[in-house]
Amino acid sequence: MILADGVILGREEQSRLLDELEDHINNTRARERLDTETVIAAIDQLGRRLAAGEFDGLIEAVGLSGKIEELRSFTRLLSRDYLKRKVDAELGTDWDVPTVSEAAFGLNGTQTRAVPLGTLLHVAAGNMDFLPAYTVVEGLLTGNVNLLKLPQADGGATIWTLQKLIGIEPRLRHFIYVFDTPSDDVTTLRRLAGMADGIVVWGGEGAVTAARSLAPPGAKLIEWGHRVSFAYLSGDWRAQTHQLTALAHHIVRTEQLLCSSCQTIYLDTRDMTEIEKFCENFLPMLEAAREEHPVEDIGAAAAITLENLTSEIEAMITGSAAEPCRKYRGKQCELTACEDSELTVSQLFGRVWVKRLPEEQLLPVLRRQKGCLQTAGLLCNERNRERLTDLLIRCGINRVTTPGGMSDVMMGESHDGEYPLRRYVRMVNIERPAGETRITDPSLNS
Amino acid sequence: MKWMNRLFRYPFPYDTEGTDQLFLRAVRENCRYQYLHNAKYRAILDGKGFHPSMLRTYDDIAALPVIPTPVFKHREMYTLPPRRMPVKATSSGTGGVFSRVGFTWGDLCRGLPMVLRVVGHRRLFSLRPANYIVFGYKPHRSNHTAVTKTAFGATLFTPQLHRTYALRYTDGRYVPDLEGVIRAILRFSRSRFPLRFMGFPSYTYFAMRMLDERGISLRLPKGSKIMLGGGWKQFYREAVDKSAFYALAKKVFNIDDCNIVEFFGAVEHPILYCDCPRHHFHVPVYGRVIIRDVNTLAPLPYGHMGLVNLISPMVMGTPILSVMTDDLGVLRDGKECGCGLTSPYLEIIERVGLKDIKTCAAGAADILRETGESV
Repeated sequence: MILADGVILGREEQSRLLDELEDHINNTRARERLDTETVIAAIDQLGRRLAAGEFDGLIEAVGLSGKIEELRSFTRLLSRDYLKRKVDAELGTDWDVPTVSEAAFGLNGTQTRAVPLGTLLHVAAGNMDFLPAYTVVEGLLTGNVNLLKLPQADGGATIWTLQKLIGIEPRLRHFIYVFDTPSDDVTTLRRLAGMADGIVVWGGEGAVTAARSLAPPGAKLIEWGHRVSFAYLSGDWRAQTHQLTALAHHIVRTEQLLCSSCQTIYLDTRDMTEIEKFCENFLPMLEAAREEHPVEDIGAAAAITLENLTSEIEAMITGSAAEPCRKYRGKQCELTACEDSELTVSQLFGRVWVKRLPEEQLLPVLRRQKGCLQTAGLLCNERNRERLTDLLIRCGINRVTTPGGMSDVMMGESHDGEYPLRRYVRMVNIERPAGETRITDPSLNS
Repeated sequence: MKWMNRLFRYPFPYDTEGTDQLFLRAVRENCRYQYLHNAKYRAILDGKGFHPSMLRTYDDIAALPVIPTPVFKHREMYTLPPRRMPVKATSSGTGGVFSRVGFTWGDLCRGLPMVLRVVGHRRLFSLRPANYIVFGYKPHRSNHTAVTKTAFGATLFTPQLHRTYALRYTDGRYVPDLEGVIRAILRFSRSRFPLRFMGFPSYTYFAMRMLDERGISLRLPKGSKIMLGGGWKQFYREAVDKSAFYALAKKVFNIDDCNIVEFFGAVEHPILYCDCPRHHFHVPVYGRVIIRDVNTLAPLPYGHMGLVNLISPMVMGTPILSVMTDDLGVLRDGKECGCGLTSPYLEIIERVGLKDIKTCAAGAADILRETGESV
């Protein structure tokens, strides 16, 4: 399916549309302008209608009936208030209003303003149902024309969300084009990339490398690549039952699928027996959390069972002494006590590494993962908090949270160390010849 | 190997009910042999606290330790020295990792009557010569995959006039040549002898679509058939529902769906499953299927989806007596089919694992802050 000009078209229309697309976009960019307020108003209304249950039938139709409640509870993130604060935090208040630099130092003055990058091609990865729509929303908030390549697994949720948004605010229709082009249709992707000023790519190394090869010279690449997160427990963890329970819930609730999910639990110790004691204590908490949040996906549950059975059988063949790490198996969850300190991605679905990492080793060990670090869920004594937070930041961590809140949204937070909206705009300077005092931007006179 | 041989010579290939006791004896015979001659298999049974003598009733077969297929990918599990096994086959393998299964002469001798009975039951043997299009690999000494061997085997169901392969071995690798296949189809369609297709459903479908897009519709000689095997796995995106496939075959080749036959098998469970005229894979007497709960591995009743445990006492060369594939499937009561066969039939639903897994942590970003989770 393709969405163009607010209308859903079949794949067979793709070639005709691509032939005309550049002209359409040029037309839009020459004549139309999308202000943030228009976009916010439309999303706010979409959120309110979603909260009121108006789209429940549609959500069921695209196979997301199990997520209705979850979606509804997050509609606050579509509210005017939240979006306004997001835009203000990322771009500053009144970001599209020019600022003036008076002539000085023998230089002419300028008028500076942020304008949209132009046309963004979003290459949305993933099995999460609303990420593709959300990346387009970020492009719209900054006034860009958006071309979206849907991920393979999209069940139709993206197109209906964006079509509803256009229904609420028809002016958006010239700013949204969605294609379900498969990733191996390089010709089409290259044509789309050829029209873009910026390519926003979500995904791992494969997706990023592919996007780089597609990008014409001069197009800005905006990469949201993969990241790894961990929990860091310093001091006496035994007294922190409440925090550890929250960490256990975080692990099973996110299934460790997010960049912000805990992959490894580090203990600030050199002592392996401490690691073992921790595993013995933490496993019942993880199991209890798992009881509340069982693995929902039957395919994932089967994969875990099969992997466990495979390693059990292989341990019988080789003799379990060959196993380098000690496993603590619970029902649908597992802790693995390892001798090394490397930060590695877990086996997901409630299976976590537990490793030693004394404070003085934090920097040398974590620096080996530079560019891939995201969140550290820190548990420590209050008197050490500031010092450890600072050290984690020096290691390259972008978010420091409580262990249970590693994946919670925080007000005003950046994404992987950057404000996304800032990457979707450019700053332009208009020279103000000496003696001119009037600001000529028409928007200021309205 | 008295009971094993007797099972594979049993005259009625779908009389599973009538062979339960024979099957139990053959399984016990195989299990005892593997236990005595394969130290790795013995370690597994000992580790699980199981002994071949515990196979007393038919229901005890479910308690037999199950070996997941990755175990055969990670290490060699042969029971006999390789020199005593004339055929060593590998799975098609994803990511370059293959299961290795060795067969003795005795194993092959058991396989032959099975193939004759199953294929004969579906009336695929004929003395009338036929041309063959193989939508698969042209055999080559470097290719040990079972799928290549079985596709070649299927061209022996009749005397053959010509064989044309969709995947040819050129300069050290396999290259698809669908254009060559299209030319051969057009040529063979003018022959007075039937044309038979054998191979991957996906390639067969691609070729039919190519013909359809060119507006070509043929009336293939009477007796022409499409035989499918090797699964859809590499081509999930192109996977079509079967009815669309049959409709296209009728349109492009004038082949009715009763002349379309699909095979299913795995190198770790080399039992020939052949679909019935209603296109269901009934379990033949040579094997049994237990669907197991994805969490507890407990056997499930008919109609429930779970992990697929395949059991067969055919092979002595490798302990593939009871294996578990990485598929999710459902077993249904044979009477529900309506084709007349009463043995239960297996539906493979999907591969295990999160569908289209894309995780940031594992290498691809996915989720949305809108859902309250930070990416």
